[in-house]
Amino acid sequence: MRRLLVVAALACLGIMLLYTIGRMPPMNSGSTPDKTHVVPRYLEHGEEEGGAPNIITSVILNYRGYDTMGEVTVIFSALCAVVALLDREKRGRSRSAADISKVKSSVIVRTVVRIAVPVIILFAVYTILHGETSPGGGFQGGAIVGASIILFTLAFGLPESTDRMPLGARIPMESSAMLAFLAMGFLGLAFGVEFLTYALPGIHGQATETIRMLMLMVVEIGIGVAGGIIFISIVFAMIREDRYELQPDIP
Amino acid sequence: MNFSRIFHNLNYVVSALLFLMGLYAVTVKPNIIKKLIGLNIMETSVFLLIVSVGMVDNGVAPIVTEGYRNALEAGRVVNPIPQALILTGIVVAVSTTAVALSLCLRVHEKYGTLNAPEILGRDVL
Repeated sequence: MRRLLVVAALACLGIMLLYTIGRMPPMNSGSTPDKTHVVPRYLEHGEEEGGAPNIITSVILNYRGYDTMGEVTVIFSALCAVVALLDREKRGRSRSAADISKVKSSVIVRTVVRIAVPVIILFAVYTILHGETSPGGGFQGGAIVGASIILFTLAFGLPESTDRMPLGARIPMESSAMLAFLAMGFLGLAFGVEFLTYALPGIHGQATETIRMLMLMVVEIGIGVAGGIIFISIVFAMIREDRYELQPDIP
Repeated sequence: MNFSRIFHNLNYVVSALLFLMGLYAVTVKPNIIKKLIGLNIMETSVFLLIVSVGMVDNGVAPIVTEGYRNALEAGRVVNPIPQALILTGIVVAVSTTAVALSLCLRVHEKYGTLNAPEILGRDVL
């Protein structure tokens, strides 16, 4: 009965949504309202104003740098919330369900993971470093780094992973995105331009471009490292099982 | 209602369907993990909608390479703002999902179940 009520309400909502879609401007036309105001300027001048051939990177790091700084704070706050709820893993002796289980992951899985993980990390480094000139960037690369280490953890267990990614090394890297943003922001501020301008006044000519590229690169690397490590730390905090009593006969 | 417009805007229709599916899971399923999955499906539907708004027929990516100027004059460059917005949205969605899953872990630890009516001690929708 209740389920019928919900389905009826959802059907009403669906009809309203379809009605709205019928009155929306046609997709893919190139002249829809979203492409008329600020977008032509971004597309025309994004490279020289934003400093990156990839206009999306220009928008994220330069035109809307404050927004991205807030976003970096959001993932850092998420890590803080997860750690406050679940505690971090203990140094060197945390276990996950995979370690307690009597069934070990198969040789095939371990071999494939051992071969694949370095290649995935290499691809992540490429994605982070080429975020200015090709599809990619800090968040995407960070997600790939996180995924590779999580894959490794699922195959080899938590102790193997925490040996390679010790807690003491992860803690400073988790805040690197915020620190990179603040460092680049205040560097501009110290030289008398606005926060997050990515420019040092008094330097003219070709060097301006190089400096801006380098500053954007620092922020991208900071975001990539922090994003990856934060996701790794969240997963490590979630999969540790030593809060419960170790039960040796879990099947 | 303009039916040809609806068929042309197929991405929007799929997005609306995904939204309704997610809302159904959130409201009907008793398991809080399934509610969370529904919430993620709803988030995905919003991402699909907003990215679709910026699309252009035969569009090229908004990256300045050779051929970019010609595409710009022909109006074939994809709108970069929805993509930047959704990049932000995906990261925030992952963060909120992580916090929600941690809360689920704590709930399971305390109550021994993930069933919302059992946790609340009463029958809920």
